[in-house]
Amino acid sequence: MDEDDRHDLELHRLVSARERSAFDELYRRYGRSAYGVALRVTSQDLIAQEVVQDAFLALWRAPEAFDPARGAFRSFFLSLVHHRAVDAVRREERLRRRTERAANLEPATGEDPAEDVVEDAYLRVRRKEVRAALTTLPPAQQQVLEMAYFEGKTQVRIAEELGIPIGTVKTRTLAAMRKLRDALREE
Amino acid sequence: MTEDHERIDELLAGYVLLSLSGEEAAEADRILVDHVPSCATCRATLSELQAVSGDLALAAPPVDPPETLLPRLHHAMDEVPLAGRTPRRGALIAVAASAVALVAMGGLSLVLGNRLSNAETRTGTALEILSAMRSPGATPVTVTPQDQTPPDSGMVEVSTADRLYIAAEFCPEPTPGHAYQLWLGSDDEWTAVGEMFWPDNGVLLLEVTGVDVSQFDGVWITQETVGSPPAEPSTDGPSWFGTLR
Repeated sequence: MDEDDRHDLELHRLVSARERSAFDELYRRYGRSAYGVALRVTSQDLIAQEVVQDAFLALWRAPEAFDPARGAFRSFFLSLVHHRAVDAVRREERLRRRTERAANLEPATGEDPAEDVVEDAYLRVRRKEVRAALTTLPPAQQQVLEMAYFEGKTQVRIAEELGIPIGTVKTRTLAAMRKLRDALREE
Repeated sequence: MTEDHERIDELLAGYVLLSLSGEEAAEADRILVDHVPSCATCRATLSELQAVSGDLALAAPPVDPPETLLPRLHHAMDEVPLAGRTPRRGALIAVAASAVALVAMGGLSLVLGNRLSNAETRTGTALEILSAMRSPGATPVTVTPQDQTPPDSGMVEVSTADRLYIAAEFCPEPTPGHAYQLWLGSDDEWTAVGEMFWPDNGVLLLEVTGVDVSQFDGVWITQETVGSPPAEPSTDGPSWFGTLR
């Protein structure tokens, strides 16, 4: 566990003790990443705002949902945001067909369009590592990961859209996740 | 029984990406309950895959949230009921018009509360419920508090051909670290439906769509531990039960 993870743990401990300043600090650290992924998944700013608000509120309501023994706070919280964003987009799909993805959203592995966004150095470093790891994946694996993670599609739907057996989707997904795991494994 | 770890790894990868559905989602749930807790290899795999899933969020460009979001959050935090707080009382219709918690589902894939701050949607859903209550095909029933659950925390459930509404008032706040879980059941086999949720000042407003309600004969709302997907309804804590047929 590095220093930033330990700092997150301390902030989380203070949030558990109902310290609002610690909550605000976690918002400052992760608000941009949370909003970024929520916007990327939902493609709609109002829904993305609600997703981020719900995720931070859930943290405030039940901070004990994060178990430090099960990994870094960063992973826990961004997973929470992603989960809610996928839920949101799946519900929206039932209401109407999604419009084309907003033009200002870049591909997952693309250049950051918001280089002027200020964020903690360790997050910027980690972000580069994640993107670099993604570029090492074969295109076919990137594609299923993109469709599952950022488009919130089920494996069944991915198989249908790509016209490939669902077993292939599973194989590619697992292979991609294993490669990312190996590339991102922290020292 | 020897588990196929390659198969399990595939399921776990799909699970952490939220991309499983149908029987495979159920199989993953079974493995998470029956196998993973006792298998160090699978526990480590799950933990690693969850870490990757969390970090994948960083592949999206960071975006500054609107400046209004943090003040809105602070406001919402002030409204979070504290455990043990006595719910406000009020007429069901008045409550429904300003109800806060909204659950909507497609199939059994729940979307929870992401319109929590959208008053227009809340009111719209409340009006849908009131309209459904009056429609000829609706079947209002009482969802009854069980055991030590406050007796005045009654719910009304209204089912139509393809959707189910549940409205409640005087619903106690879950104990710290807990939230409520909706279950649909048939022949005493219960399926957890979507994410957990909290009442707001004792009020719940649930909308379940895209589900063949006729396949189920019961609805159960139980208190469960946050962060631990329940395998079966907990009989500890408040719960409400209703018969759908």
